Amino acid sequence: MSWITNGPLITVQVMSGLSVGMLLFLVSVGMSLIFGVTRIVNLAHGCFYMVGAYLMVTLVEILPDRAWTFWLALLLAPLGVAALGGLIEIGLLRLIYHRDPLMQLILTFGLILVIGTLVLLAWGPDNKSVSRPEALAGSVKIFGQPFPSYYVLVLVLAPIVAIGLWLVFYRTRWGMLVRAATVDREMLGALGVNVAALYTQVFMFGSWLAGFGGALAAPTVAVALGMDGDVLTTAFVVVVIGGLGSFAGSFIGALLVGLLQSFGILIFPAISIVLLFALMAIVLIVRPWGLLGRPEA
Amino acid sequence: MRSAAWLVLVLVVLALAPLALPPFFLQLLTEIAIVGLFATAFNLLMGFGGMVSFGHAAYFALGAYTAALLVKRLGVPLLLALPAAPIVAAAGALLFGFFIVRLSHTYFAMLSLAFAQIVFTVIFKWKTLTGGDDGLLDVWPPTLLKSPAAYYYFTLAIVGVCIWALHAIVASPFGYALKAVRENPRRARYIGIDVRRHQLAAFVISGAFSGVAGGLFAFYNGSVFPDFAYFTKSFEPLVVALLGGVQSFFGPLAGAFGFKLLEWAISRQWPVYWPLFLGAVVVVVIVLLPSGFVGLVGGRLWRTRSAKA
Repeated sequence: MSWITNGPLITVQVMSGLSVGMLLFLVSVGMSLIFGVTRIVNLAHGCFYMVGAYLMVTLVEILPDRAWTFWLALLLAPLGVAALGGLIEIGLLRLIYHRDPLMQLILTFGLILVIGTLVLLAWGPDNKSVSRPEALAGSVKIFGQPFPSYYVLVLVLAPIVAIGLWLVFYRTRWGMLVRAATVDREMLGALGVNVAALYTQVFMFGSWLAGFGGALAAPTVAVALGMDGDVLTTAFVVVVIGGLGSFAGSFIGALLVGLLQSFGILIFPAISIVLLFALMAIVLIVRPWGLLGRPEA
Repeated sequence: MRSAAWLVLVLVVLALAPLALPPFFLQLLTEIAIVGLFATAFNLLMGFGGMVSFGHAAYFALGAYTAALLVKRLGVPLLLALPAAPIVAAAGALLFGFFIVRLSHTYFAMLSLAFAQIVFTVIFKWKTLTGGDDGLLDVWPPTLLKSPAAYYYFTLAIVGVCIWALHAIVASPFGYALKAVRENPRRARYIGIDVRRHQLAAFVISGAFSGVAGGLFAFYNGSVFPDFAYFTKSFEPLVVALLGGVQSFFGPLAGAFGFKLLEWAISRQWPVYWPLFLGAVVVVVIVLLPSGFVGLVGGRLWRTRSAKA
């Protein structure tokens, strides 16, 4: 347990935990947002993250090799995912909103298989990687401990997105409509709001967030076929802990899970995933609907 | 009386199958029996308990890995290793089910999926015990059961006993109480049924029989892999039960027959496309048929539910 007195190591560990948590936040807040408005638990959400990462791989390859290539790809990849989300919402989900929630779950489960196979066909079975932009390829020293510069970018960028989200939800008319839809959709429709269009926008926005998370995470992980399942599980844990449909809950849940993973690997390398499960179990016993969620109707 | 006649007919046909069929089709039939048991165990929850688990692969995998590990690592004979499969699977189902049955509907499905992913991750990461991604190879039954026909009869006997036991459970007072819980949990509570305990008991029973299916599959396959616990595997009993009909006890068995034949026909030519095909069928059928798959086979439970929602 020598690490416990090692201040710099703990600092670095906290920072890497926070950056993992920030990436998780992007994915889980999108999932939570989609659930809050459409009442659909989108199991294909992990796939959007995966597609975001794969689009990043392709864009970095095909765009001319310049200093701004990485940044342009980071801008475009999530937009591609948002377009995919829009297609799915308009083409499929819109037809089943009135149905049994379990049917909706099974449909999004089916989408996992379809998207997973299409990704396999498009990009092949081999793992891919995205190199970090030159300026962020190295590491910085934090109290003498090396810390990858790219994670600094994540640590800076993700909170900006989080603040941006807060501003959108609490300071714009659109955000107000979204929050109203999470409380009472029928009333919102009765008041003359085009709820169908709002659903599509929310779904695309949630997909964009997952795609952005995937694109931003691409240089830190192996871009591989199983990554959708991994991120789906972790995002689940985040959302269950924070509460489905709660914006702040996703934020707190994501940071908790990120820190837990970071320190779990340090303390119990083999069973860090079990810690995650234990945390979720505790939350479920105490508050089945999550820390900041609302009880089931 | 008529159903008894049908049962005898089916049993006679199954018993005579090895005389007429080449070994490959016997293996396919063996697999159908195993998947049929898995789906029937799953359907105890979905059809009779009204609980949809998205993580039943966890208990299948626990059974498969228990049997395989006992044989591989400790040299335990098959006849002792196989009974251990449902015990470990039931223990896992008890541990996870304790939390899962506290939730309902969507949350229930999500949490069961999350637990299954955890089982998958543990199997995948614990390389020294489970072999990780490489799985455990050479998990064959003893010489006596090694031929396709012998293992076919062996599987058929065990699956038969399990199906009979599950049928007895469904027809027992416990089975009726479970159906009452499915139809109206609140009213069931008022008449003195402990809802959560019944749901947990059903979850553990379902997990145990999924474990038997997993154990049988380990020796059928000759190897076990982390994929057994992956969420695509959890999808299998769900689709099989939906195809066959969740309202009928024997529906999932019929579903397994159709599903596996279809899988064989498609994966033989385009193995990569099988998940795509499966996913697409699910998506298209759910979107195009207003009452879902179940409308095809007349699912009363599902219709009353969606009418309420």
